[in-house]
Amino acid sequence: MLSTQLLRRGFAALTLALITLPAAAQSFRVQCPTSTITHPTAANNNSEPAYVGPTYAGTAGYPAAPAHVNGAIKCQQISGGDGYASMGDGTQTYLFSFGPLSGLADIAAGLPGTQFPSVFNTLYSGAPLQPGAPDGSGGSYNGAVGQVPDADNGNAINGHVDPRPIMDVGVMNGNIPAPLMAIDEDDEFFLTLTNVGMIMRPDLFEQHTVHYHGYPNASSFYDGVPDASVAINIGASFTYYYLAPDAGTYFWHCHITPPEHLQMGMVGQIYVRPRQNRVPASTTLYAALQQQQLDPRTACNSAADILCSNPLPAVQTTATGGRKYVYNDGDGSTAYDVEYPLQIHGFDPNFHFVGMTFNPEGFADMKDKYFLLNGRSYPDTVTTGPLETQSADGVNHFSQPLPSIINIPAGGKALLRISDLDTTEYQTLASLGIPMTVIGINAKMLRDQAGNNLYYNTNSITLGGGESLDVILDACQVRAADGTCTTPYAVGDTYYLYTPNLDHLSNDAENFGGLMTEVHII
Amino acid sequence: MSPATMKEAMSMNRLLALVMMGAALLLAAAAHAAAPGIKGTTFNLTAQPAYISQPDGQAVYSWGYGCTGGTPGSATFAPPASLMPGATCPTMQVPGPTLIVTQGATVTVTLTNGLPTAAGNTSILFPGFQVTTTNGVVGLLTHEAAPGGTVTYSFTASSPGTHAYYSGTQGDLQVEMGLYGAIIVLPAPVPAACTAGLHASNLTAEAHWHESDFRLAAAAYNHARSCYDREYLFQFSEMDPNIHSQALAQVTARGNCAAGAVGCSLEVATEPYHPAYFMINGRSMPDDMDTNYAFQYPHQPYNGNPHMHPGEQVLLRVIGQGRWQHPFHEHGNHVRILGRDGNLILSATDPNSLAGPLLFTTTTTPGLAFDGIFYWTGRGLNWDAYGHNPASPDPNARLACTPDANGYNTGAPTAINYFEWCQDHNKPLQAKPFGDVAGGGPVTLPDPNLFTNGPWFGGSPYLGPNATVRATGPTGTTPPSGTIANPPTSEAGFAFMWHSHNEREITTNNIFPGGMLMMMLVDSREFVIDESN
Repeated sequence: MLSTQLLRRGFAALTLALITLPAAAQSFRVQCPTSTITHPTAANNNSEPAYVGPTYAGTAGYPAAPAHVNGAIKCQQISGGDGYASMGDGTQTYLFSFGPLSGLADIAAGLPGTQFPSVFNTLYSGAPLQPGAPDGSGGSYNGAVGQVPDADNGNAINGHVDPRPIMDVGVMNGNIPAPLMAIDEDDEFFLTLTNVGMIMRPDLFEQHTVHYHGYPNASSFYDGVPDASVAINIGASFTYYYLAPDAGTYFWHCHITPPEHLQMGMVGQIYVRPRQNRVPASTTLYAALQQQQLDPRTACNSAADILCSNPLPAVQTTATGGRKYVYNDGDGSTAYDVEYPLQIHGFDPNFHFVGMTFNPEGFADMKDKYFLLNGRSYPDTVTTGPLETQSADGVNHFSQPLPSIINIPAGGKALLRISDLDTTEYQTLASLGIPMTVIGINAKMLRDQAGNNLYYNTNSITLGGGESLDVILDACQVRAADGTCTTPYAVGDTYYLYTPNLDHLSNDAENFGGLMTEVHII
Repeated sequence: MSPATMKEAMSMNRLLALVMMGAALLLAAAAHAAAPGIKGTTFNLTAQPAYISQPDGQAVYSWGYGCTGGTPGSATFAPPASLMPGATCPTMQVPGPTLIVTQGATVTVTLTNGLPTAAGNTSILFPGFQVTTTNGVVGLLTHEAAPGGTVTYSFTASSPGTHAYYSGTQGDLQVEMGLYGAIIVLPAPVPAACTAGLHASNLTAEAHWHESDFRLAAAAYNHARSCYDREYLFQFSEMDPNIHSQALAQVTARGNCAAGAVGCSLEVATEPYHPAYFMINGRSMPDDMDTNYAFQYPHQPYNGNPHMHPGEQVLLRVIGQGRWQHPFHEHGNHVRILGRDGNLILSATDPNSLAGPLLFTTTTTPGLAFDGIFYWTGRGLNWDAYGHNPASPDPNARLACTPDANGYNTGAPTAINYFEWCQDHNKPLQAKPFGDVAGGGPVTLPDPNLFTNGPWFGGSPYLGPNATVRATGPTGTTPPSGTIANPPTSEAGFAFMWHSHNEREITTNNIFPGGMLMMMLVDSREFVIDESN
């Protein structure tokens, strides 16, 4: 390891170099318009309106005025760079990684860093943000780091940034997993990737990208595959634009040299909430799904579209809105009380060491020795709050924001949004005690074209890299016909999620730990 | 640049050189896959050794099935040789010849063992079929062909769909060495719905642009929800080069030993297993994107280079032929699994409805075949993927979009924007007008100097040469550099990477990129997808 002082000097020199270059040499900026063609009224874009009808009925479309403006605008900024994380055996591990550059307070609290324009465009005031933020500074700030009034344009808040706070916060501030994102169907999502460079690898001039894995009918332009699109260089920002796709559990990652950048830690989570969450409590879910069928963009007509998964349910129920759901099920069968994103990953410490030390990396013999849930191995998975890791600049950086403790209210249902971005092998996660009900796979509800739900119970799920599924853990042993719980699991009980790949219950040389966490009934 | 990326650059340079050198091969000829094979009821196959080529320059000693005598005999090439001139069935190939048969037919496969004597017997298993064997010698799982001998298998092609065939003798070695292939059973009859409506309309569009129909059939099963407009077959396998070099060394050492003599056998260690090559149809990227039957790969005739137009229902026939599972990620959309190993998955309450899952990552499992349907339409992007501009002087920028009941422009099969998603027609993407693309949209694109272009980048956020040439510059004449594999002026498709998501498998013997990786292109209608070679 290089000396801290030397690094600090190098760090300062690089920062100086970047900010003293002509303005054109860095091109950081963020984008978060307060209104768009799709969401024309700025005042309505800072909250999710109730879903009372389709955006367009029939085959109408732009430029016709929408019948109902659904969804809102969401924005997020992330850094692409490097950093360090702490493994379950205490080892400090080098990462190529994304870090938060907006929603810092929410990310630190284990929440998605995705914000409405009114929050994202709030300017920071207070003591300068410090390296290692948000833990070192920032308090409750959730806006875009670096955004300042544009003096050349009447001090407008238009995405113009001061690069200094971005470099202060973003350099060597990577997280594993990468910042959590969550959007609602019908939202427009502006995701700005700011490439701050990898300070430990000055030999690299690497671009980074965001691949939104599973986005249906994607454009290659915003698909994040550098071979098929563009990739942003160091010292600049690129804003990805998505209309929120169909509800489900997706994930995202860098797509530059994937065996390297994914193994090194550039993996994150994103999920899309269904418009059924916005159906008023007075409306039946079936009627609301009938409304969705009126708009060809949100309809699922099995006879005409082979790639949709939520036709009207075969059995019509009187379930009404007002809860949280995984999908637009039309029958309330995907309702849940609490949700937890869980990302499975693996680190090969040899590859990470080689990746930090300028040596050629081998791919064929890549062998993971750390098995991670949300970037942590047991027992770190049950440590509350974010983890920090001292990095090569001698500063403690915010490194692993997400614990994996599953707290389920007795008698309630927990949704586990499980994804896997392992680069080497399949991993199995089993539930000891509480059965798993699988209700969706690869961001699609399990329902046949005739409307029959195909959910199934199991005690383990197996995923390879690039797969996701939705599991409900029901903390209720007996439910009445109306769905109320008559025999809940006991408050205070602890259950386990662990891997039956028994060699994965280890933290490198420690024969203890690995892919495991706890389920608490509260 | 890290050593890994240096490798990437070297490898990409090699690829670029290949592309430029071989414009006639990769671009002008632009062969785009199909699911080629030999069609009939009687097949005479030989198992024999040869060397297969990998993109790191290695020639790997392998065993494969091929056509006895180098001709398909009474079988014929499908698609027919009139559509795919240059089709061959060499005496050894990996994967083996794709056997195309019709449901209900009695299929006879005679296998001749042309492997080195020391390799011993060999055989073929046809999982999913009731096989009768004649001749040959009794083996553990089926009758086998002794060195130099033959064995005949016959069965009724009972269930339509894609199936695997592979060696049933010492499979840990023989399948690893390359003794595997595919059987496609075409449904009889094909449902009427598959040749009417949008499927007929798609054929009209193909004919208008002088594209040929390369399908083996119009449906994957006897079911109206299994219709398709284009098809591709991908067989996934991996190779541990150490096993192959051991086999070669031992075969060489045994020389012309007599079958059955003491010591006339191989003791190749097949564990521990460290594969370094990860292949689709016997080729690693970028070789898989060269043409079918390319002369550079005399023993690896099949490619993996899918193309499609918006709205086409594309049938994916995928088989796991190695010993590992691979999570095959199709960028761009989900895949509806129709069936596995020829078993169509239907709703328990409605035989007209499908019940297979929708997946964006389709696991390939050893010995398992699946059929799935993929399409791409651009629905829900919230901007006009063709960059139409009603104020443009260019008539192709002002095309109409007349929605059908599902919102697509399907009434005009000869139009460039056939199957456009109409709800977003003319809806701008970019905040400021650029070139001949209207402003007013939600996003500002960065200065092109700030980003790096990929070789398959079409040159703009828009689909098709018309849109890209209009969008690439204020003058419309300065397409971006580096987009050579998908040129802005002639193709400008949307390119999507289809690859194993156990990402280390997109390498070739430790070099990235390589392995189980291909680029799928969604091409605008004016680009002619030519599946011949």
